[in-house]
Amino acid sequence: MIEKNWKRAIPGLIVASVILVLSLIGMKYMGQESFVRTALSGLTLGALYFMVAAGLTIIFGLMDVLNFAHGAMFMTGAYLGWQFYANPTFLFGLFPLILAFVTGLSTTSLWLPVVIKWNISEAWQVRLRNLLIIAGLIFVVLGFLKLDILGLAKTAMVATMTAANPLAEATPQEPLLAFWYRPVLLFLGGLLIALASARPGDKTQIIHSTNKWLPWTKLGFLFVLTIIFTLVRESGAIAVLNMNKDLRFVLALIVGAGGGAALGAVVESSLIRRLYGSPFYIVLLTLGLSYVLRETVQLLWEPLAYAMERPPAFAQPGKAENLLAWFNGNNMTIDIVGVTFPSYRLFIIFLGVIMLIGLMILMRYSRLGMIIRAGVQDRSMVEALGINVRRVFTIVFAIGVGLAALGGIGAAPFIPVQPNMGDAYQIQGFITVVIGGMGSYGGAAVGALLLGMARAFGDFLALKFSLSPAIAEASTVIIMVIVLLVRPSGLFGKKE
Amino acid sequence: MEPILTLDSIHTYIGQFHILEGVSISVPQGSITVLLGRNGAGKTTTLKSILGLTPPRHGKIIFDGMEVQGKRAYDIANLGIGYVPEHRAIFRNLSVLENLKIAERKRGDLDRKSDFIFDLFPDLKRLYKLPGNHLSGGQQQMLAVARALVADNKLLLIDEPSEGLAPILIEQMMAAIKELSKTSTILLVEQNFIMASQLSDHFYIIDDGQTVKNGLMTDLENDPELVNRYLGVKIDAVGGAN
Repeated sequence: MIEKNWKRAIPGLIVASVILVLSLIGMKYMGQESFVRTALSGLTLGALYFMVAAGLTIIFGLMDVLNFAHGAMFMTGAYLGWQFYANPTFLFGLFPLILAFVTGLSTTSLWLPVVIKWNISEAWQVRLRNLLIIAGLIFVVLGFLKLDILGLAKTAMVATMTAANPLAEATPQEPLLAFWYRPVLLFLGGLLIALASARPGDKTQIIHSTNKWLPWTKLGFLFVLTIIFTLVRESGAIAVLNMNKDLRFVLALIVGAGGGAALGAVVESSLIRRLYGSPFYIVLLTLGLSYVLRETVQLLWEPLAYAMERPPAFAQPGKAENLLAWFNGNNMTIDIVGVTFPSYRLFIIFLGVIMLIGLMILMRYSRLGMIIRAGVQDRSMVEALGINVRRVFTIVFAIGVGLAALGGIGAAPFIPVQPNMGDAYQIQGFITVVIGGMGSYGGAAVGALLLGMARAFGDFLALKFSLSPAIAEASTVIIMVIVLLVRPSGLFGKKE
Repeated sequence: MEPILTLDSIHTYIGQFHILEGVSISVPQGSITVLLGRNGAGKTTTLKSILGLTPPRHGKIIFDGMEVQGKRAYDIANLGIGYVPEHRAIFRNLSVLENLKIAERKRGDLDRKSDFIFDLFPDLKRLYKLPGNHLSGGQQQMLAVARALVADNKLLLIDEPSEGLAPILIEQMMAAIKELSKTSTILLVEQNFIMASQLSDHFYIIDDGQTVKNGLMTDLENDPELVNRYLGVKIDAVGGAN
């Protein structure tokens, strides 16, 4: 047993000793200042890589899905958060419609006891389902018809490009009298699709006797929410713009991550779910999806790069002497052992650490985490215990994409917000996952740290010896090759 | 008595291979029924087909008065079927406690059942904090059985519980299964003919994916020729293998 524990600690020991040796050498030859600065940059990069890789690795570990759209989802998160921060008119304009549709969809479990009694022949069941879905989609299209989506989207552009007061630039939403029928149509569309997914006439379904009132409560809640958001389309956006900017930024983080998670849930449950067992098609699907997301973003906000303003907590001029001073002064930079470092980058490191701790708590102490760990090892046994693995897949995919999206909006204030901003991070994310071992979030953390450091120190060395900066980029791949040669399943990987 | 589980001529394919070519079984309530047959005859696939892990393409499976073929595995399991897979398939990276906890269908299942489970397998109580991969083979097998007991199950599917166990552990396992049969029906797959004959009331022989013989266990023990032909085991008419 002791021997086993030793063996498990080996990758960690190797990494720790490599870092120790490198930092000793670095301290000696680089000088303290440039060493600390480079190490902090490495940490920042590592935190970002981790945000992308964490989702990739748990998604792969549990469901064997290589998500090639992960970078695009990182980018989507950044756009959503940036939108919300710059001018949320667009989001407030679309949200009631999405909510109305979801409200309609949520009725599936209410239809089930009704439609299971219908007597329809099998061939007509399929036809009826297809008919209902098509009808539902027609309602959805009608609901969006002639809605000035592009106009709504441009508000954020205007807000960032002209330094003018974004309040003045907010395109007014359609008046309620011209708008009210849209949520109604989308609700009906959702209702029809819910009816289809209740599979009318299919008597092989099992109705679980859960709480009878729960679906009704859910429906009522969503209904009220839809009405509220339909009413506050304009005032809500204005209220957000009048809000304290730091608070707005925190909300933007939540909107980005939540939007990403919702996107993940939709993608998994409507597209990927159909393709489990054929990994090649999933690769094609997610690759295609990444193009769709990128093109959609370009259509809405032009193929431009935007600089998202830093929230005021990280934007006051001057340098804070230490972390405590920063709490009072909210300065742009902080003095860390003699090095002037942007305070926002420290926030990114902090965000990465919080994410790691959060994931650790989720995986170790929650029932969901237990199911994920068990599912990574033996999916069909988990299902044989009576656990709906499909739903767990959806949740895990949503969490993974949500993490990437949170990384995206977190990174937005210091890298340009543009359609291809996620691509580089996706590649580094894949390398991180391979180094850390597929399916291990701890491995992803270590791998991200290694890559971030390699990148930062590589850049420093390239600059110092006036080599090509490609060296830094190559170094990450070289690390991957070495790790793969020594441990083909990655540092912490258990799967073959 | 009304059978709790009926398989009506099921056909199961794995990939392109036709594994089950008409398996018909009926398991009487409250009994222990054993599936016998050579390696590769389709016994494990039969259990997996019942649960929907390898869904049958044709045929009917009726559990507790409800047709379950074609339903999702978790739905079928939630109707009250516990599964103990072969090769001690516990979750090795989960602790003993977590291995039991994950099998809860309602909050508090484990609290309700823990005394019963730890009475059957006292070892597990001592080990409950250890990760599954630190257990010995026998302990893992105990855990796999215990896991199926956490939720209230009307039927237990147990696949080769004696596989690779030391004789003393086989005795303990047999006692445990006897004890379990008081509260639930058991469908057992077992290669160990002595264990099978001492435990079970009914038998089915599966050969080449088909059920070829069935009856009372006592009759089988008196028919050494049949046992030899289908199982490759030589027994004396009075029972006991050589």
